[in-house]
Amino acid sequence: MTYETRMAWQNRMLLVPAFVLLACFILIPAGAAIFISFTNDALNGFAAAHPQFVGLKNYVRLFSDQGFWNSLLVTLVFVFGSSVVGQFVLGLAAALALSRPIALKPVFNAAILLPNAVPEVVAGFIWISMLAGGKYSTLSRIVGLFGFAPQNWLDFAPLLMIIVVNTWRGIAFAMILMTSGLSAVPAEVYEAARMDGATARQIFWRITLPLLRPTIFLYMLVSTAGTIAIFGLIYTLTRGGPGGATEIIGIYIYNQSFSAYQLGYGSAVAVIVLGASIAIGAIYVRVLKVQV
Amino acid sequence: MRANVVRAGVAVAVVAVIIAAALVISRAIKNSRDAAPSLASALIIRIAEHRQPRIDALNKLIPGIEKRLGVSIEVVEYPAPEKDYLSKLLTELAAGNAPDLFTANFDSDVPDMVSAGYLARITTEVKAWDGFAQLFDVAKKLSTSADGQIYALDSMLLVQQLYFRRDLLDKAGISTAQPANWKELLDRAREIKAKTGKYALLLPAGISWGPGAFNEGFALFVPGSKTPQIVDEAGTLNLNGAGVRDIFGLYKSLIDEGLMPIDPLLGPEPWIIPKYTMFPAGDLMATTCGTWCYIYDWGKDSKNPVPDVTRNVGTWAVPGMDGGSSVTISGSNIWAVNANSAHLDLAKKVLLALCSVDATVAYAELVGNIPARRDAADDKNFQALTELVPVLKNVDNGTFLKSSPGYSVVSEGVARATEALLRKQTDAAGAQAILVKYVKDLLGDNVVK
Repeated sequence: MTYETRMAWQNRMLLVPAFVLLACFILIPAGAAIFISFTNDALNGFAAAHPQFVGLKNYVRLFSDQGFWNSLLVTLVFVFGSSVVGQFVLGLAAALALSRPIALKPVFNAAILLPNAVPEVVAGFIWISMLAGGKYSTLSRIVGLFGFAPQNWLDFAPLLMIIVVNTWRGIAFAMILMTSGLSAVPAEVYEAARMDGATARQIFWRITLPLLRPTIFLYMLVSTAGTIAIFGLIYTLTRGGPGGATEIIGIYIYNQSFSAYQLGYGSAVAVIVLGASIAIGAIYVRVLKVQV
Repeated sequence: MRANVVRAGVAVAVVAVIIAAALVISRAIKNSRDAAPSLASALIIRIAEHRQPRIDALNKLIPGIEKRLGVSIEVVEYPAPEKDYLSKLLTELAAGNAPDLFTANFDSDVPDMVSAGYLARITTEVKAWDGFAQLFDVAKKLSTSADGQIYALDSMLLVQQLYFRRDLLDKAGISTAQPANWKELLDRAREIKAKTGKYALLLPAGISWGPGAFNEGFALFVPGSKTPQIVDEAGTLNLNGAGVRDIFGLYKSLIDEGLMPIDPLLGPEPWIIPKYTMFPAGDLMATTCGTWCYIYDWGKDSKNPVPDVTRNVGTWAVPGMDGGSSVTISGSNIWAVNANSAHLDLAKKVLLALCSVDATVAYAELVGNIPARRDAADDKNFQALTELVPVLKNVDNGTFLKSSPGYSVVSEGVARATEALLRKQTDAAGAQAILVKYVKDLLGDNVVK
């Protein structure tokens, strides 16, 4: 055995612990989900005791299921609104602002990081008190001070509300990543730009943003996958309602599997989402040629 | 070239191992339902219970049962909403680690739990039990499965009908007489809306309400419809009947004419605003409900009570479509033993203890439902529950719906159909089509008549 071969095997062995964990908690459950998606397995009823192989029936049903398409659309809007627009824009703005020497910087840092320290379900309940209860909700009382009518916000604009809540919760993550990206930009580049007479806007668009590109795409990859998988926050706030208006795909899978007890069908939806998530990741990594 | 072949071989081998492991684990989980005993260790009986008043009632009973049967009892607190409770319970039953004793939320849950093999048969023990003779006939019928066996015992009864604000209707000059049929009920609702501007009648509906959309709403109108039983003698589901469509039509009229609140029903925990806020505040004049409303929703245990509730809140039996009326009886505290319990015999004894007069009266005091046994009427503590005493005496006059395997699917299908009505996406025939399609998709074409 040559030195190179030995080293190659040594490196593979070093990966074994990670692979075992990955296999136990990701790959095998995913394999089980794929298997179950071809059955009529259920949590209750005759199928729970005697699940049958049904071939592609769950997948055929899925493509004619309005609820599934609705949840995909809701997921798309939710991910774009909260992750791509809300968290990214505000996180980048916070990172840029806090990269400068300003007063009370640690306080601002802590304030932005704080929402991330709150458990998902607790955050959900905090926002319920803000948004639910019509005239009794905190937000209605606040807008009431300015003469606006109280609303039951989770009925009035449910999708917008969960986008706002998820944006609030995710800014910190975006800010941390952007801060690390900004710190990797050499100061000399900015200095040279200023000496050449570049304005602040030109520096941002022509230097900061292009040099942040790898960080931004890494953030987009992680954030998109994470946002698609969000569950607790929305389940606490709306459970996917009213009338499916906030039923993102994770909630839809839960509702099919654990409210309607159709494990087979729920697994089929989960398999589709798994495929979509892998495709999105591949697009980010391959098409945009990002090194991660 | 050779390296690529080796890599491809390794990749294929890894995928094959993963799929094999997934299959083995999936099969092992299935087998664990049959093989694994519950987590209970020696002489500890674990009981699943949910909702604080019920947990309080159970905790009150435990010391006596432990002393009498020489057993330790551990109460496992489950999530309060019925749907979350059942989801957690079914997940644990499927995984083989559920508590020894638990309740089904509704009679409609039982047949499917039996089909899944989750429930131990208790026929012999129940029939030999001294309390059996005291059970109301309706409780015996509700507890007996289609195969003639008993798998779950209805220790309490839900007596459901229409509850209305007598004080406010009198004040508005609106008749409080029993509506003779659905037309009169609708006309009364229209009159309420016209004279008071308030919502007239709430029928639980929509996906968020969970099984209550069927059990606390739709099911109450079935006996008076042209399809008075959904399950026929052969166990087929008569969902294409005219009666089912007519009931959806009643919902449609209430929703489209603005007689029923809609927005709260589309949100999470949809019962909270209409039942606990709007009805006591007089913003909703009538709703389907059960005896628990006199105690828990608007009575002595309510956070938002209606003063002098039995006088100010009256009841109507649910009118039939073309006449007649019915009060619907269904089971509550439907105790069952986990088929995988490590202490089956002991768990069955504890089950019977939880169906004693003391136990049912303790639950009645805190929850407001009716004991399923006649001799509870003689109990001193029960006699103090003046709201419930007259109801218990009339239990035998109630009607009930037969259940069958697949009923939990019907329940979910009704929730989905009424959700479409709430969202004004369909009419009565469309709602019926949603129900039928959902049930056929899950149970097969042959199950639906």
